[in-house]
Amino acid sequence: MNFAKFFALAKEKGIEQSQIKLSKSSSLTIKLFHHEIDSYKVANSQSLIACGLYKGKLGFGVSQKIDSSSFSFLVDQIILTASYSEKPCEIGLFPGSPKYKKRNVYNKELSLIPVEKKIALVKELENAIYAADSRITDADDVTYVEGEGYSEFYNSFGLKLKQKDNNFVIFAGAIAKDKGETKTFYDVFIDNDLSKFNVDKFAKSIVSRAVSKFGGAPCASNKYPTVLDKAVVSPLIGYYLSSTIADNVQRHSSVLEGKLNQKVASSKLTIEEKPLAKNLFYSFFDDEGVATQNHFIIKNGVLKTYLYNRETAAKDGVESTGNGAWGSGKFGTTFSNIFVKGGRASFDELISPIKEGVYITEIAGLGTGMNANSGNFSCQAEGYMIRDGKIAEPLNLITISGNLFKMFKDLKGFSNRTEIDDSAVSVGDAYIKSLSIGGK
Amino acid sequence: MISKQLAIGVLNEALLTGGDYAEIYLEENESSIISLENGTVDRVGSSLTYGAGIRILKGTESVYGYTSDLTKKSLMELANKLSSRFEGERVITVKEIENQKVKVINKIKNHLDEVKPEEKIKYLKECYQITKEVSPKIVRIIDNFINNKKKIEIFNAEGEVGKHYKNSEERGRLTMIAMASTEENGIESYFTGPGKYAGWDYFTSVLDYKEEAKKVGEKAVMMLTAKECPSGRFPVVIGNGWGGVIFHEACGHSLEATSTAKGLSVFSHSIGEQIASPIVSAFDDGTIKNEWGSNNIDSEGHVTMNNQLIKDGICVGFLVDKANGRKLNMEANGCSRRESYRYAPTSRMSNTYIAKGKDKPEDIIKDTKLGIYVVNFGGGSVEPSTGEFNFSASEAYIIRDGKICEPVKGCTLIGSGKEVLMNIDRVGNDLDLGQGMCESLSGLVPVNVGQPTIRIKEITVGGRGGKLE
Repeated sequence: MNFAKFFALAKEKGIEQSQIKLSKSSSLTIKLFHHEIDSYKVANSQSLIACGLYKGKLGFGVSQKIDSSSFSFLVDQIILTASYSEKPCEIGLFPGSPKYKKRNVYNKELSLIPVEKKIALVKELENAIYAADSRITDADDVTYVEGEGYSEFYNSFGLKLKQKDNNFVIFAGAIAKDKGETKTFYDVFIDNDLSKFNVDKFAKSIVSRAVSKFGGAPCASNKYPTVLDKAVVSPLIGYYLSSTIADNVQRHSSVLEGKLNQKVASSKLTIEEKPLAKNLFYSFFDDEGVATQNHFIIKNGVLKTYLYNRETAAKDGVESTGNGAWGSGKFGTTFSNIFVKGGRASFDELISPIKEGVYITEIAGLGTGMNANSGNFSCQAEGYMIRDGKIAEPLNLITISGNLFKMFKDLKGFSNRTEIDDSAVSVGDAYIKSLSIGGK
Repeated sequence: MISKQLAIGVLNEALLTGGDYAEIYLEENESSIISLENGTVDRVGSSLTYGAGIRILKGTESVYGYTSDLTKKSLMELANKLSSRFEGERVITVKEIENQKVKVINKIKNHLDEVKPEEKIKYLKECYQITKEVSPKIVRIIDNFINNKKKIEIFNAEGEVGKHYKNSEERGRLTMIAMASTEENGIESYFTGPGKYAGWDYFTSVLDYKEEAKKVGEKAVMMLTAKECPSGRFPVVIGNGWGGVIFHEACGHSLEATSTAKGLSVFSHSIGEQIASPIVSAFDDGTIKNEWGSNNIDSEGHVTMNNQLIKDGICVGFLVDKANGRKLNMEANGCSRRESYRYAPTSRMSNTYIAKGKDKPEDIIKDTKLGIYVVNFGGGSVEPSTGEFNFSASEAYIIRDGKICEPVKGCTLIGSGKEVLMNIDRVGNDLDLGQGMCESLSGLVPVNVGQPTIRIKEITVGGRGGKLE
């Protein structure tokens, strides 16, 4: 596309500064059920997102319709939305950072692998799930999704940035039935190098987790020393970090307001954001065009920074941390590639000192069970009892309740089992001094 | 959005390798949001969603693809790519397309996209003032008005003569969040979000938005001093309207053909069997005029219907879309829905509710010695294979000696659908509906949940407040 035409049109209509981003994505989804392809999906989509400074205020426009009328539609939307804004924009748009750390994370080999090979891989996975245990009645949602993303960012100051990435996600579940009980377990694997996926290891892990749940029952309601599986800790870290977003702090809806450079959590908690780590979630510029940087958010329990876009940074008189994100009608703040420092203990070593406790492996309903402002949460959970330092009987239909901020103060340590997950968080299993478990 | 001639070409390309049904779904969806943060316009946004999805069925197999490029080249390429997944000879050639008449059951006055932004801003500012005046403890108020107008066209064919449907959907939603805070009690928030398939006159003249604005502030302040909810197993009375999310999660999802056709749902083989207490009847009705989950036709072109799911505790029906209907040997019943062209359609709920019973709500409370009264939920989720669900209360109280006592926070109800439906022992006469967004295989769709006040004689409640006394 000739973006010069967009900038010329914007200028002609009185838009002083402007920026535009073209995003293109494509994907392939193959999903099996009972040895047949249950769903086969191919997709191509594109969108234009534009923003401009009009009469001292910011306006925005988004369109998935890309044709000769798109630029004038976007310019009209910028003018319309800016006209109704009641927030003067003193900082204007961002001309560009002095330096960008651009790296190539796109793996061209992935798209060259024939589709038939990818179908064969998921079929192999499905067979391996059925073969792993006689109690498996269904391999569910065995799915391969491959995606490619490409974006171009331009602004009226002459800045041009481009980024391309790709990945694949393999998702599968096992449904096991025995003596009238049904148990399930689902897991996901994400990468952009298909050779890293081990079919047997993945299948056996899912199946062993599903069948180990047989005989699960609620435990007695009580407070227990609790170990949260890394898969459970990951979304909790996400909620925790939402309270470090400067916008929430400035609007008095974060309990971390006024806590900068203070100890807010156990010294075992260190959280670093590494957008420049060379992995699937690598990103070298944010949606305002600001160069991203690796930085500590929490270091040894001390809050080191809030997360800023340009607007919130200007309010606090600091620089943007490169966390700006397109929102609907404004710039918001986001984070990605979160690394929580792991401990030294293996999982077995982490649970070994616990005489009677609970190991939580799955939670459900956190989206509504979490009050992100206060940090109070209560949600459905399942897992196992820990007795004399070892995993004991399975638990299901229990609830876990606590306060997120208190919980990370009560953190006794993480295991060393860390790897980045599909929500771009790398964290180990967490040992919490005490949490409320609701059962019988 | 495309010509009939092009549609015939694309359908024939899709049917090249023996597909017995092909469909093109075209969408142009303009949405806008106005958001006030503490009474000041924080953002005015608009976006245009635009694209097409192509689906081919061959027996019980299906393939789907989408693109936001509606040129002939792009659509033909997509149809070709999809048809190449099947091996076989053509069995259908589409020769013509007939326009289908769509009966408009949801009529609208004062279209929301024609209302000037300044009028919506004035309305939201009035809401803000009302909430703010509730208490100085309220530190943050967010008032949003969101509306969208979705124009869709469907071309489909399973023979020489294809069909062409045109439909338009229009919805608006007022959402309000109030956050209250004090030094000693921390931060609490409350949300309300009435929505309707309706025009501006509903929001200004029918909806009691002033009461909603007052309520959101009062409840946020009330939650500041609410005690932690006790945990254990005890009777729970669930209020009408949005309380129906219990049925939506505990039962509705497990009655969608998406789950039942694969035999994976706990209710897969339940038609004709008792799955609920005999005092429970339930419906999914996409035809209620101007309701949030209603539509004139579904995403496959079928007329929406009022489907009874449970009659006097007996399971009498599923929600069936075309593809899963083939697997179940059942007719589609107008419930196939999708968020956008990016999703293949599948069976989804629309306005789902437990029918009204005989009890007065106040009698249900009066007859409960010790338990919890849940008035409102944040939402919940279910695993259809096991039927296990959870939902979190956003407003709940202790019931002691038949009286509603102190409010509690951090209350989660968990259980299995089979168990909870059988455990409903009282059904009130105060049926109402509440609006929400439901996420499932075909994306996020607007749904109404609903019920009268009901009582579950025993269910697991999670909270940090120790034992119920």
